Amino acid sequence: MIAFSLLQIIIVPIFMAIVIMLFGKILGQKCGWLSFASLLYVTCIILDEIVNLPSIGYSLLESYSWAPLVGNFTLLLDGVSGIIALTITLLSLAISLYSIKYMEHEESFDLYNVLYLLYYSGMVGTVLSTNLAIFFLFFELMLIPSWILIGVWGTGEREKVALKYFLFTEAGAVIMLAGIGGAYMITGSFDLFVIAERAAFMSKNILYPIAVLILIGFFVKMAIFPLHNWLPDAHAEAPTPISALLSPAMIGIGGYAAIRILYTSFPTVAFDNNFTFILTLLSVITMAYGGIMAFAQDDIKRLLAYSSISQMGYMLFGIASASIIGLTGSLIIYVSHGLSKAALFMISGVFMHNLKTRKISELGGLAPKMPLTAISTLVSFLGLAGVPPLVGFWGEFFIFSGAMYRSFNPIDYLKLVTVIVGILVSILTAGYGLWTVRRIFYGEPNEKYRDVRDPEWEMLIPIVAMTVLAIILGIYPAPLTSILSHIIKNLF
Amino acid sequence: MEELLIFGWLAWIFPLLGALLTPLLAKVGDRVRDYGAIFFSFLSVVSTVALASYLFKGHVDWPLHDSFVWLSVEGSPILNKINAGILVDPLSIIMSNVVSIIAFLIMVYSLGYMKGEEGLTRYWFFMNLFIGNMLLLVLSDNLIQMLFGWEGVGLCSYALIGFYYKDSREGWKRYWVGEGDEAYPPSHAGLKAFIMTRFGDLLLFVGAFIILTFAGTLNFVELQNGAISRVPVWALLPAIIFFFGGPIGKSAQLPLMEWLPDAMAGPTTVSALIHAATMVKAGVYLVARMFPILYATKLASDSSTLLLMFYFIAWVGGLTSFVAGTQAMVSRELKKVLAYSTVSQIGYMMMALGIAGLSVEFITGYVGSIFHLMSHALFKAALFLAAGSVIHATGSRFMYDMGGLKKYMPITFWCMALASCSLAGVPILSGFWSKDMILEASLSSGEYMLFLLALSTVIVTSFYTFRMIGLVFYGESAGESHEHHLHEAPAIMWAPYAILVAGTVVLGVGGYFVRDWLIGSFEYLMISLHGEYISNIAEESFIAFLSTMCVAIGFVPAYIFYIKRLKSPDLSSKLFSSKLWTFLAKRWYINKIYYNLFVYPTIAISGWLYENFESKVVDGLNYYIASLAKQFSSKIRRIQTGDFNDNLTLFLLGIFVAVIILRFIILGVS
Repeated sequence: MIAFSLLQIIIVPIFMAIVIMLFGKILGQKCGWLSFASLLYVTCIILDEIVNLPSIGYSLLESYSWAPLVGNFTLLLDGVSGIIALTITLLSLAISLYSIKYMEHEESFDLYNVLYLLYYSGMVGTVLSTNLAIFFLFFELMLIPSWILIGVWGTGEREKVALKYFLFTEAGAVIMLAGIGGAYMITGSFDLFVIAERAAFMSKNILYPIAVLILIGFFVKMAIFPLHNWLPDAHAEAPTPISALLSPAMIGIGGYAAIRILYTSFPTVAFDNNFTFILTLLSVITMAYGGIMAFAQDDIKRLLAYSSISQMGYMLFGIASASIIGLTGSLIIYVSHGLSKAALFMISGVFMHNLKTRKISELGGLAPKMPLTAISTLVSFLGLAGVPPLVGFWGEFFIFSGAMYRSFNPIDYLKLVTVIVGILVSILTAGYGLWTVRRIFYGEPNEKYRDVRDPEWEMLIPIVAMTVLAIILGIYPAPLTSILSHIIKNLF
Repeated sequence: MEELLIFGWLAWIFPLLGALLTPLLAKVGDRVRDYGAIFFSFLSVVSTVALASYLFKGHVDWPLHDSFVWLSVEGSPILNKINAGILVDPLSIIMSNVVSIIAFLIMVYSLGYMKGEEGLTRYWFFMNLFIGNMLLLVLSDNLIQMLFGWEGVGLCSYALIGFYYKDSREGWKRYWVGEGDEAYPPSHAGLKAFIMTRFGDLLLFVGAFIILTFAGTLNFVELQNGAISRVPVWALLPAIIFFFGGPIGKSAQLPLMEWLPDAMAGPTTVSALIHAATMVKAGVYLVARMFPILYATKLASDSSTLLLMFYFIAWVGGLTSFVAGTQAMVSRELKKVLAYSTVSQIGYMMMALGIAGLSVEFITGYVGSIFHLMSHALFKAALFLAAGSVIHATGSRFMYDMGGLKKYMPITFWCMALASCSLAGVPILSGFWSKDMILEASLSSGEYMLFLLALSTVIVTSFYTFRMIGLVFYGESAGESHEHHLHEAPAIMWAPYAILVAGTVVLGVGGYFVRDWLIGSFEYLMISLHGEYISNIAEESFIAFLSTMCVAIGFVPAYIFYIKRLKSPDLSSKLFSSKLWTFLAKRWYINKIYYNLFVYPTIAISGWLYENFESKVVDGLNYYIASLAKQFSSKIRRIQTGDFNDNLTLFLLGIFVAVIILRFIILGVS
């Protein structure tokens, strides 16, 4: 147990960002290692707290007095936010190591690290805060650094893409702010749990629009069809380490927040059958649409971006199942998608960095040259497809079984058909995944890449670590499921 | 009593461990790696044989069962505890022994066959991973754990079919599969196998989730002990039909059979182990595993609707066995003949299980299916391994490049001939007994249509089997030019298939006793499911006579055209140009239809949608909205005159409006 541990999780990286900003010019390339060190420290704190969770009743609350009108600055680390924060932190840690090599030839590496750390704090703050006003602040803190990161270090039409990203997410955030304001108007509080108490006796008709407004904000972040259009551009043109962080860690926060806020504060809406049906339908469309779009891509990063859209469909599918098992599955998909997609984006970065191309049609026959990369790619795509023994299997198995359970209790044939279609649609994931593996790694070797090898250790270790972790968690998921479900069952 | 159960765990842990150690052993040396891999597969033989000792103990209280909590989802009405466990009963003991022993022999054969290939570490890794996953599949006590093995073997199958992933065009005669517009490189075939079986698995998921929703568990023992009765009949029937999608995909039955013939792009050892003897039987195994559960439900419910699920699987099996058999009649590739034949024989097993569900004497069909599974595993693995020797010697997978090999490879010839006779159902080899048992079950259940279908498949089987023997071993040697290459396989290669052939002969000579012993082993099922079994010698001999006649009917044309070549081969080329021949050679156009219906459209539609919908409509709309804002601002900028008077007026107006809003709207009118 460490004093102010939750505050430290947010403050330490910000503090380190300030240090790097002040002394960045002197430190040069070393600032990459500094940000790595600060993230390593934060990882240790979170791990320590999560290990301690069972002994303190599965929730650690830190509250600091702040602006009286808004309420306290409250941070909560329980099973759910703990696992999500840990995933984000692990990804950020791995990717910061990866960045050191990947960004070596880029300009102003110090500023990159400053923004990177701020971005991290924004994400983890969003996950830990339980006060909607503070949640919104962090939500914006997550947006602004990432916007600059895309705009400055990105590729292609980076300024335009960054603006598109900013406008979309900001529009979502503003709609969400309207919802948060509405919640404050009817309950007089920004605190999730106070809202839950006071909203429990209110009519569904009042809560409905508020919940929907907040959800729209999350849907933009998750890139749910038809609000997905910013994502392929942003993910494709962002600097690859940031794509690796944007995609699995950040967009999934929309799903996490939907579970946290919707189910805690507006359960009457969340359990409404018509409402969940619409969400299920949206999620199946997103799953299918993202998957089909992935088939059409030749740019590997764009393919991964569409795959992320599809995966967010899975997350929403679990959220819409309104069952303990489905929500648990949804969060497991967050973890699994985080590990697999981060590895895949990092691999696409290997191609860009070492082979100077990201077009699948220009690659081919690479398996004998880069065996570890090939294995990691295969395993990560299988993880997305939910093949055991990878952790993605549990995610998919849980969301599907939860959705099926819910469509029989009470029985709703329309929903049942939607769910079955959703299950069958997941063949698309295996399809585009293995097809991509085949186009990149199999076939006759390309003469152009005769001297290509697996990347340097700074880039290889994060990739392999993600892959191995996905396998370990798949074989032994008990810690994950028991910690998650312990909190989720309280929502029911 | 229970002390041997530990081997139920070890049987699959050993090979998995072996797989993990393979890359490490490879660092020590190639020979260490090769023998290490074989050693671990031998350990699984020891384990399963230890389990087999249960079968010879007097009275065992089946099923033996051992489990622990794997993970838990607290508070959930379904799946709140998921156990990992093993289930040991005659079915899993027999299946695991078939798997481990044949796998071991094939591993030994690999030493010779794969010598000098690139990527052997990968080969041994996936072979051991496969054995481990297969035994995990067989010994699991619940469906979820079984799915780990199930998908694991699928993954190994994918990786090993695509073993020669370089897809070299020069070596297409040896490494590719098919010809003309249906020629596929190995990596394509692997992908195809994975996607098709995966689709079957997703159907299985749907079925499993429906069962789970009502029964609350997917543990086979709990389902057997009454949990299945919580599923209402109206939900059970569709659930089971969906559920069968998994076995249909895995065991390459109609309509998901198209992947298996193309899976022959893998090394022959892989075809023998995965795509003939073991993995493709997983579907049969799962149906057999579910059979007592479903049969008990049928007994419990009065409605006859549940019979539909047995009809479904029986007809799927029956039709598959016929369709695949006819395709084998015209195939030009040696391994593909064997692949179609595998599909066809598995169809028999499926049909037998379906038929078993329709009659009180279910034990004939049930045991017939398992008996056929055993004997097919033996002779088909032998056939594949022998075919591997032939392909190794001639360097081509096309039978028309072979011919006249009898004098060069006598041992291989005799082994292959005996195994072929067993496949065709010549008395008194093991295939004869097991096939007759299936025929007997279909006759006594009163499903005459299926009986006739099965009987006509016997003719077809006999024809293509002897056609294959004729094309490969008789006639002119097509490989005159490289005759000096033609030689008998080394002992390390022929010994494994000689052992397998010996097995099929022994099982055949003692066939009647094996059959009785198997029925005795499954007696506990008969007691719990109120089945009956009356031995009917008259009917048995009648069927033996009929099936032998059918074998002869198929043998005669094969003998005339391909073995003795009494008629010139021109006739077969004339046949080749006929419509029927093309229809069969094109695999009833099923493969083509799939490509035209699913593969090409998916790619075309995604491209079209991306060009026209995603880029133009969705993205276009966004830019349209952005341009609206631009237009709006260009209109509204007209009031920005820059004149001080105008600015002041608007400023005051703004304050006025704000005050009004504050006063009346936010604070309320009162």
